Amino acid sequence: MVKNITIFTTNTCGYCQMVKKYLGAKGMTYEEVNLDEHPHRQAEAIDLSGAMTVPVTVVTKQDDSQEVIVGYNLARLAPAVA
Amino acid sequence: MADPQDIPQHDVIIIGAGPAALSAAIYTTREDIETVLFERGVVGGLAAVTDKIDNYPGFADGVEGLKLSEELRKQAERFGAVIELGEVTAIHDEGKLKRLETTSGDMLARAVLIATGSDYKKIGVPGEQQYYARGVHYCATCDGAFYRDKRLVVVGGGNSAIQETIFLTRFASHIDLLVRSTIKASDILQHELEEFVKQGKVTVHLGTTTDEIVGEEKFVTKVIGTKDSKKVDFPTDGVFVFVGLEPNSQFLKPSPIKLDDIGFVMTDQHLHTSIRGVFAAGDIRSGATMQIASAAGEGATAALKIREYLEDRSHPVQN
Repeated sequence: MVKNITIFTTNTCGYCQMVKKYLGAKGMTYEEVNLDEHPHRQAEAIDLSGAMTVPVTVVTKQDDSQEVIVGYNLARLAPAVA
Repeated sequence: MADPQDIPQHDVIIIGAGPAALSAAIYTTREDIETVLFERGVVGGLAAVTDKIDNYPGFADGVEGLKLSEELRKQAERFGAVIELGEVTAIHDEGKLKRLETTSGDMLARAVLIATGSDYKKIGVPGEQQYYARGVHYCATCDGAFYRDKRLVVVGGGNSAIQETIFLTRFASHIDLLVRSTIKASDILQHELEEFVKQGKVTVHLGTTTDEIVGEEKFVTKVIGTKDSKKVDFPTDGVFVFVGLEPNSQFLKPSPIKLDDIGFVMTDQHLHTSIRGVFAAGDIRSGATMQIASAAGEGATAALKIREYLEDRSHPVQN
């Protein structure tokens, strides 16, 4: 079971819109961290993902384990939030 | 395989949801032809990840790629188009119906439009794969923000490379633009680029190949190129690559649909592929001009040809 979801995004990122659209269609709520508005949180996104890219979706489960999905990757995102 | 009676059937399945696909869907759905689109990536395709589109008719001041894509999507959905987020992995010709294998299971369609578009090519040099997303990027609008006040290298000399270089100047302290031969971008983009060259934000290196992307530990530190037969180092924090387009047609290779030598889908003048009832439009089509306006036009044409085909008024396939 999913406890919460955080998505790191930027204003111009088309793939970020797709992640939000997918979660929205599933009726799931999420916290969005827009790195254009909060550039000081870039390092956090890089630490979590090991990559300098967005979207980064962090799915925290009920047992507090985390799954980090880099990019718009339905093959990983769909089971992570199921 | 599932009993054909249990397989969902649609009038038209469009593979892709870029400008060609969405334009086709606007036309088919306005004609009450039930239409489902499958998109594995971003709705809007490459247009959605392009900063600004200046040559799409009707937008005097240009339009953000994401905004144009969103408007196309809304317009298609307004008339009843359904966009499924998933992937078509194979097409089978079963006569009057085509069976598509998808990530949501098998689907049947009376007609299919392939509009999967293209994606940015890789350069194919050492380090490119290793540092993917950790210094090597193909989407400036996604990843440019990570390079505030940092040095960048952009590889390429076409419209995309110049457009995205201009976009990246809003973040980077300096950009080295490595161009294998000469700049092929439109004059207007070249004039715009010239302003940034004058300001010292961009340095253009013509006749320069990109040979290797080098990093230390996790991230990129330099690009090694060759100019006038001499090796040159370009210190950088990241590399953005825009060296042309390759077709998203991998899934068609086992099918009887004819592809050209590069992998683009071959069609006749009616946008019919070598399988009757399967059409292609936009960047994926062999001979396409790779322009968003052309893709939208081809999408509209394909929709009209699909309507003729569904009404059994179409021309025979030319193999």
